[in-house]
Amino acid sequence: MTVLAPPSFASGDPRANRAVLCWPAAAKMAGALVLITGTAVVPAGWKLWFAGVALLLGVVWALGRLPPGPVLRRLLALSPFVAGVALAAAWSPGGVLDWKITALRSGLCLATVILLAQATPFAEMLAVMRRVHVPALLVTTIALMHRYLFVLADEAERMRRARASRTFTTGRRFAWWAAATVVGQLFVRATERAERVYDAMGARGWR
Amino acid sequence: MHIPDGFLDAKTALATGALSAAGLGYALREVRRELPPRRVPLLGLAAAFLFAAQMVNFPVMGGTSGHLVGGALVAVLLGPAAAVVVVATVLIVQCFLFADGGVMALGANLFNMGLTATVGGYAVYRGVARLLPGLRGRVAALAFAGWCSTIIAAAACAGQLAWSGTVAWRVGFPAMVGVHALIGLGEGAVSALVLLAIARTRPDLLPDQPGAAAAPGRVGPFVVFGLLVTLGIALFVAPFACPWPDGLESVAARLGFNHPASSPLLPALIPDYQLPGITSPGLATALAGAAGALVVFLLAIGFSRLVVPREGPALKTEI
Amino acid sequence: MIPAIQLNGLTYAYPDGTAALREVRLTVAPGECVGLLGPNGSGKSTLLRHLNGILPERFPEAGGAVAIQGEAVAAGNLGVIRRQVGLMFQDADDQLFCATVREDVAFGPQQLGLGPEEVAARVQHALEEVGLVHLGHRPPHHLSSGEKRRACLAGLLACAPSILVLDEPTSGLDPRGRRELIALLRSVRATKLIATHDLELVVELCPRAVILDGGRIIADGPTAALLDDEPLMLAHGLERPHILQHRHPHEVKPETRGTKSEAPAPASERAR
Repeated sequence: MTVLAPPSFASGDPRANRAVLCWPAAAKMAGALVLITGTAVVPAGWKLWFAGVALLLGVVWALGRLPPGPVLRRLLALSPFVAGVALAAAWSPGGVLDWKITALRSGLCLATVILLAQATPFAEMLAVMRRVHVPALLVTTIALMHRYLFVLADEAERMRRARASRTFTTGRRFAWWAAATVVGQLFVRATERAERVYDAMGARGWR
Repeated sequence: MHIPDGFLDAKTALATGALSAAGLGYALREVRRELPPRRVPLLGLAAAFLFAAQMVNFPVMGGTSGHLVGGALVAVLLGPAAAVVVVATVLIVQCFLFADGGVMALGANLFNMGLTATVGGYAVYRGVARLLPGLRGRVAALAFAGWCSTIIAAAACAGQLAWSGTVAWRVGFPAMVGVHALIGLGEGAVSALVLLAIARTRPDLLPDQPGAAAAPGRVGPFVVFGLLVTLGIALFVAPFACPWPDGLESVAARLGFNHPASSPLLPALIPDYQLPGITSPGLATALAGAAGALVVFLLAIGFSRLVVPREGPALKTEI
Repeated sequence: MIPAIQLNGLTYAYPDGTAALREVRLTVAPGECVGLLGPNGSGKSTLLRHLNGILPERFPEAGGAVAIQGEAVAAGNLGVIRRQVGLMFQDADDQLFCATVREDVAFGPQQLGLGPEEVAARVQHALEEVGLVHLGHRPPHHLSSGEKRRACLAGLLACAPSILVLDEPTSGLDPRGRRELIALLRSVRATKLIATHDLELVVELCPRAVILDGGRIIADGPTAALLDDEPLMLAHGLERPHILQHRHPHEVKPETRGTKSEAPAPASERAR
């Protein structure tokens, strides 16, 4: 299930004296990919690899003077999935060692992705995607989603608050109706906004 | 159900990656061909909608709450090809921006939630909505489809974990499917309620009733998506779930788990997983599954009668 | 002189049958700045959407109800029309759909098919004009309302349109943001049509005002005279702006001086 981390990295002026942010996005993404692929597939015995990756991540983190909050929070709540699978793995006769290595791999990859997300503006990642020929429709969709995700999340929150401020009962049944109405309304608003965005694109010569 | 990195081995990652890339590529082609330009921004907005909708909490019990996953809902609202693109977009952004679901596991997550859940959910919805008329029928169909989509995605996920040798099938499958049989009930109910909420305010945004003359579904997408999903299920689930008694044993041997079966993780949830009088565990599982699905189907119909007044989407007084 | 905007009896009904515009006749000369007033739902936004062909959904065969720089707006020449007309939408979030401000400003020039250097130069110039160069790399979501409006304007200016059509440019702005935007609009040299509820803005910027209600043009004339007509304003959901109330009635109003409006006398087209 989804656990949402607030996008703290997206605020403020990200370039203020942080060299890591100015490294080319393509290099950062390729590097992250190598680290993740390697960490996910190297044999469990390669202790040196894991140690090396951890060290490298730590150094980049320090160089970038990035806030430690997001990664720690995310690692602590390593998502119910990890806990569940670890539990199931502990149950099966595979042994406890296996589970620890899995958690280690998982944690290192997670830290890599968070570091990448912290150190790379999303617009630059999109530009790299375009350059490596990810289908244009997919990149456009990702870009639009990223653009309006916070707008719609804000709208959902405003609707929820408006509803909560006028709700005087605490029944679960009512709460479900109310939440479903918020979601339904959100879809209606998203559809209407999509129309207006299309108009705005058309007004500036799209297609 | 987002699989993190480190839980899948290389062959599973590659196989799921290939299947998902094929599915997403085909979906993009379909969308480019079928979608009028006016609707193109809707894909991105729908992805943002799904993301925001997943942040709306539905209280369950004791202070815990769940949220919508939405594969089946989006498939019903936008059609299967657009839904595959939309859910894939959400998964990609969640993976790279929120570190939710692993990069190596992205293929598997795309396959489970982006492809299997949406296309499977849509197929179930169409099948049921054809049988049951009116808004009630559609609400019941989506409630059932939401449950089914959750279950098949969970089963595929368990299969991938077993294939990777991370979690043994006989532990992972009952745990995943058992938990998601409950989660799926919520998913189905929430999806159906959202459909109803949209039907109340903007019925024009809903797709036509399946089976109606105005809704001529094309067969091509069904065949291609169906093939891909079947191939994946055959790859991840069938080796473990085949009804021959020695199937499980041979798999366990291959994976090096020759120990006697461990007790199910959630004995209270699935106490009688093996029905009396049936000796083959695979067959028993299949029968138990069918019985469970039937119960949920009846629940979905009852639910639709509860929430949709006879006259159709009239305003409910309690809202 | 060829009028910048000409509406020859524009009539429009929404697909559901609701009449939105009835026989609207309006002529705006090049370089003019006209305020479009009217209560909510009077058809202002619908009218503006016709000016660059977003509406109607399908162009009638006869057509010719809207002409920009003498050229009738039709399905075939939307590209030409949209080069002339920059349309600013009511909700800045709808208009800023790209990942960063700079990309968004570049969107229009790119659609015009300009080369990368030319696009970069135009973007830089437009951002300088609205004073947002330092925020170019920001995602639009992290701008204030005023900055969003200015970013929208930069996106239009980068296309170098001869006509600016603005829908509620100052709604939701704080006083400073509003002041900056008004100063900016004053400095932009283009024909301007501004739909707004901000009457003081009209008094400040537009020598000529048009009142729209129920899809019809009710009045068209010099701003000061029109907005000073309290019964007229009240009858159409508007009010006499305070800025006029504090003036002596015999004082010569600066806004009316030197206005060469082709419009008929104030309130002469008044309904009833």
